[in-house]
Amino acid sequence: GQEFQFGPCQVEGVVLQELWEAFQAMKDIVQAQDNITSVQLLRKEVLQNVSEAESCYLIHALLEFYLNTVFKNYHHKAVEFRILKSFSTLANNFIVIMSKLQPSQEKEMFSVRESARRRFLLFQRAFKQLDREAAVTKAFGEVDILLTWMENFYQ
Amino acid sequence: DGVAVLPAPQNLSVQSTNMKHVLTWSPVIVPEEIIHYSVEYQGEYESLYMSHIWIPSSWCSPTQGPECDITDDITATVPYSLRVRATLGSLTSAWSTLKHPFNRNSTILTPPGMEITKDGFHLVIKLEDLGPQFEFFVAYWKREPGAKEHVKMVRRGGIPVHLETMEPGAAHCVKVRTFVKAIGRHSAFSQTECVKVQGEALPL
Amino acid sequence: HFAEDTSDLLQHVKFQSSNFENILTWDSRPESGPDTVYSVQYKTYGETEWQAKEGCQRITRKSCNLTMETGNLTDFYYARVTAIDVGGRSATKMTDRFSSLQHTIIKPPDVTCIPKVRSIQMIVHPTYTPIHTGNGHRLTLEDIFQDLFYHLDLHINHTYQMHLGGKQREFEFFGLTPDTEFLGTIVSLVPTWSKKSIPYMYRAKTLPDQTWT
Repeated sequence: GQEFQFGPCQVEGVVLQELWEAFQAMKDIVQAQDNITSVQLLRKEVLQNVSEAESCYLIHALLEFYLNTVFKNYHHKAVEFRILKSFSTLANNFIVIMSKLQPSQEKEMFSVRESARRRFLLFQRAFKQLDREAAVTKAFGEVDILLTWMENFYQ
Repeated sequence: DGVAVLPAPQNLSVQSTNMKHVLTWSPVIVPEEIIHYSVEYQGEYESLYMSHIWIPSSWCSPTQGPECDITDDITATVPYSLRVRATLGSLTSAWSTLKHPFNRNSTILTPPGMEITKDGFHLVIKLEDLGPQFEFFVAYWKREPGAKEHVKMVRRGGIPVHLETMEPGAAHCVKVRTFVKAIGRHSAFSQTECVKVQGEALPL
Repeated sequence: HFAEDTSDLLQHVKFQSSNFENILTWDSRPESGPDTVYSVQYKTYGETEWQAKEGCQRITRKSCNLTMETGNLTDFYYARVTAIDVGGRSATKMTDRFSSLQHTIIKPPDVTCIPKVRSIQMIVHPTYTPIHTGNGHRLTLEDIFQDLFYHLDLHINHTYQMHLGGKQREFEFFGLTPDTEFLGTIVSLVPTWSKKSIPYMYRAKTLPDQTWT
């Protein structure tokens, strides 16, 4: 079967097409709420040329942020836009991925960890520069950018 | 209606076979009255991050029978909490919650049904259609000492598919099992079935 | 002062993409008048500036080819159209966020079919896209979608099908009856993007068996 291989971190039991289907069902209504077309949170400096070794740290940090901050603060909109079912599918599959990621904490991985952390901080800083609700809406609307990047590690 | 308090449904349980999940419960009986039920679910995300949130089931909010097909609601391989309540007019019962959360990786995977036919020297197989989550691994071989086993992956059931062109006089055998990506599990193999074709060798 | 209703001037501004050829299209209601002119702008998501699309300024047709302007596979884009009628009324509408990787549909593969006496050979030709690499090399669909594969089926007298599939380009259905007509289809599939091409439908007839004549 297919699985995610984020460097040393392997994740089974998630079908990427099901995540895409869930997001596609919400995409237009969610992205239409984001009027700030001049800011992209998950921009190239965050996601491009990520090494295999970095990828586990970066996806762990991003998914943790999405679950703790983005999804949590977007939930009431999901109810309002009647997209709760697709929202729940995404959130619960992100939980599966998170639960299977075991990024190594060994000392020799410090520089790789730091590199991934700098990328994540670029994203988080851009997020904090926006109004809170606008930032949550934009981040949730950029899940397709995240899924497109995750494709690279789906084999 | 002469009913002060509506009892909550009891004996909730989930039966899951081949990724089809059905929640059942004991019906609430009120003579000469029709009771409706509402089913709601929570994935692990909801129970961890927003435990007050329950999501109405796609097909059973409300429903009349004491069962609910929750297959479309279970869309991740995590534990799901499920609850049911009864309603009669303006009366509603308390919620009853499934004792142990349900995870789809516990589904029972049965060997798939298959139909083997011949068309001349062609060996044809038709597999049970179990839906888009299932792939089929078909193993087939010529029944003779040291014969090599071939494997073909069939993506969807329900369509008769040519497996191989047989040699006359030899028995050709087939067995099949399913694989479900979403839970990373496969079923046991089916019974082996063999067929034989008489007649002259086919010039290739 | 009431805002003037100009919704008749401009509707359904969207990208239509197939094999990475990205065409911006729009509509207007009949009452908007034939002399309305349209101007197109586009931008990359995350950038500030809108760019005017040369060749699509003050045009009367209702489409504009933005393939070159939206050719970076990892970028997302917006386009917008401004319509102005003879009475000076105007309206501007923007597309949804567009990603060619997500939105493009795949055309039927290009196939050569070679019937023989007891088999039919199929050769699938590479499908070139308008996308170029830095050094000018034109990318095929197979270059862009690493998991693209082909699925072929051949219908045998309406009762069953022969299936072949894989990433290779040459396939052959064996064990067929000579001098017989067969129908079949070939599709390109990209599992990770859940993309399936429009089927290439074919009809082929095996050659007569001359060995005994």
